Amino acid sequence: MLSEHLSQDEDSDTLSGELDVTRELEELAIDFITQLCRAGSGSKNILDGESSESEETYPHKPSINLEMADRTRTDPVTGLHSSKFITFPKRSSTASVKFAQLFKVVNCMHEAVIDGVPVTKRDIFYRDVPLFKDQRVVDTIVDDVAASLKLERSDLNVRATSKGIFCGSTLSINLTSGDTIRGNDSEASLIPVGEEVHTYSVEEDLGWILIVEKDAVFQTLCRLNVTNHALLPGRGLIITGKGYPDMATRHLVKTLADSLSRTIPIMALVDGDPYGLDILSVYKYGSSRLSHENEKFAARRIKWLGLLSSELAGFGIDKDALIPISQHDEKKAFKMLQRPSNIMPAKWRKELVHMLHNRRKAEIEILSSLVSLNTNPDEGCPPQTDLSQRIPLFKYLHIKISQFVKSSRAQ
Amino acid sequence: MSLAFLHAHDCSEAQTDSVWGVSWARNDAVVSISADGSLKQWASSTGEPYLPPNATAEYQTPSPHTLGLVSLSVSSDGRRALYNSLEGLTSLWNVETGRMEGTFESFMREEGMGNAEAAWSVSLNPSGSTYASAGSHGNLTIRSAEAETFGQKISTVFSGRNKFGMCCSFSPDGRRIALSSEIGHVFILDVESNTFVNTFTSHAMSVRSVAWSPDSSLLMSASEDKRLILYDVRASSGNAGGAVATFSGHSSWVLCADISPDGRYGLSGSADKSIKVWDIAARAAVSTVQDTGEVWSVSWRPIAPAVGSVGAFVSGGEDGVVKWWRGAGTGA
Repeated sequence: MLSEHLSQDEDSDTLSGELDVTRELEELAIDFITQLCRAGSGSKNILDGESSESEETYPHKPSINLEMADRTRTDPVTGLHSSKFITFPKRSSTASVKFAQLFKVVNCMHEAVIDGVPVTKRDIFYRDVPLFKDQRVVDTIVDDVAASLKLERSDLNVRATSKGIFCGSTLSINLTSGDTIRGNDSEASLIPVGEEVHTYSVEEDLGWILIVEKDAVFQTLCRLNVTNHALLPGRGLIITGKGYPDMATRHLVKTLADSLSRTIPIMALVDGDPYGLDILSVYKYGSSRLSHENEKFAARRIKWLGLLSSELAGFGIDKDALIPISQHDEKKAFKMLQRPSNIMPAKWRKELVHMLHNRRKAEIEILSSLVSLNTNPDEGCPPQTDLSQRIPLFKYLHIKISQFVKSSRAQ
Repeated sequence: MSLAFLHAHDCSEAQTDSVWGVSWARNDAVVSISADGSLKQWASSTGEPYLPPNATAEYQTPSPHTLGLVSLSVSSDGRRALYNSLEGLTSLWNVETGRMEGTFESFMREEGMGNAEAAWSVSLNPSGSTYASAGSHGNLTIRSAEAETFGQKISTVFSGRNKFGMCCSFSPDGRRIALSSEIGHVFILDVESNTFVNTFTSHAMSVRSVAWSPDSSLLMSASEDKRLILYDVRASSGNAGGAVATFSGHSSWVLCADISPDGRYGLSGSADKSIKVWDIAARAAVSTVQDTGEVWSVSWRPIAPAVGSVGAFVSGGEDGVVKWWRGAGTGA
């Protein structure tokens, strides 16, 4: 009896929670419709009253302004977002499209909340591809609505499709559905969205975690079985968000960072260019665009393993192997150099400044195109029976991961 | 023939990041600029910070900029130092008074103009009234160097190629300005007619630095193609390529160059961590000095050495230390 009673309460809590969310979404629509009506009736009055005297000047052009949170600008003190407006009419011909896109998304969210069936951002996009044209439009609107209504995306029952993958048999992910994703040392496994995860479990002999910017590099490392390799200091885990990481990937990294001992280093291998550093910055400090969810996902203890332009000379890589920077790189670098020091460490600044001065950047591909890597002959590598040792990328990681593991254990 | 150069001494305190420019002036002070945004100056005899005569207790070098300083041009008497930062903030500092004479934000769009072309390399006119700046799109711009109108544009001439200008330099007689680009071209502007009169295309890779001979007749270029090329500026015309000599020997990018006050010796610093002295007439290296990091800047002592001795020079590089070198056997 008691349990029934409790579950009823729980249900009614959920129900009232859902009602709140649906009401919020409905308020947004009501606001719009109200403004639309007002604008329509307003203009009629003006025309009736003054058309004979001044046909050329309208005293006040009626318009619709929908207030949304501007996620790129947050008050540093209150943490509140400043506002942006979706307005009609506007100079651009796409003004009304913005409203159509917004309400299509809101409609999907509304359905999802009422039905209880979660919808992914990809699903929403596919409901009307000609209207949205690009996945990013949907992504942005979903996050804007969440920020404006001060809700989490999951409250709106919208789930991100995850694109991140991991490799390594030390990690298993137990899902709320009861299934388990078991990591593998030679193949990638998909990282599930945070809402589906019940627990992560990690085997005791996990020695290191490497986050990799690019899918191609991840695949190479997977094929080399780096997560369970005789030459590396213990078993490892490699993760990639395939570029800028989504929430699911950041959630995994954050959880590992917080739960695991500091003797297990979490390192990032990114290109030695502004975009690589920016990706590292998202893992480490959070994303500037989703600041309302930041602290939950910032993995502060992640370290920059490489690739640093400054260390390449030490590996015998000629300056001519470095790639010329583009105008995009320049603009991005200067923008990043304006960030405050709490999210732009001195070491990163120095790399960006030197990159701009050299007018060259270091991409991980440089290691792939090499025939051999100059390393200290006393490194103690056994004769080349293992194919992986001939690959400069592997040699580089062997040296660097060993260094990081050693210094993590020393602390 | 070979000469030996000895390491005389270092500056008393290293700058906290690479030294990207050094200049030894007639007052025997050396000015150095660094990737850490600071400008410092040193007395050549001791390596200690330089204080001009009549310096007050408040005398200070400018406070460090937020971004690195990439270009330095000091008047030959050592009185004024023009310098430019990574993003294009150009400043003129009066060494004697310790006061800033002017600053100019070259990255800001000017009224009526298109996009701003931020300055990279700057060079003070020997007359002191103007300065030249090279920017990212192949223009050579002349601006006022007078305190009241500092930075005001006087003219802009397009080199013909929309390529990054790596270095510009006024000739000692003030009649020409050399401009070098990221794709290796070297252009010579005639100041009076304000037109480009020469284009040299001997390099195909970035030319990071150019240096004039004291009589303004020769120009030496330092390139990422590991070579230095000497051009006779007066003899050639048009695009015939007035290259008269090539100096090879460095195993990586040549980053900087200078020509001695008697016109006899070239000097170069390289990413191969060495400094080379070249006998111009013999077209050969006569000395190699090994340093510990990339050598970004070199400068001869501007006072001609006594007969029979080879003079002295100063260098700055990756370790942030300004180093003095003198010819062996030249005594004190």
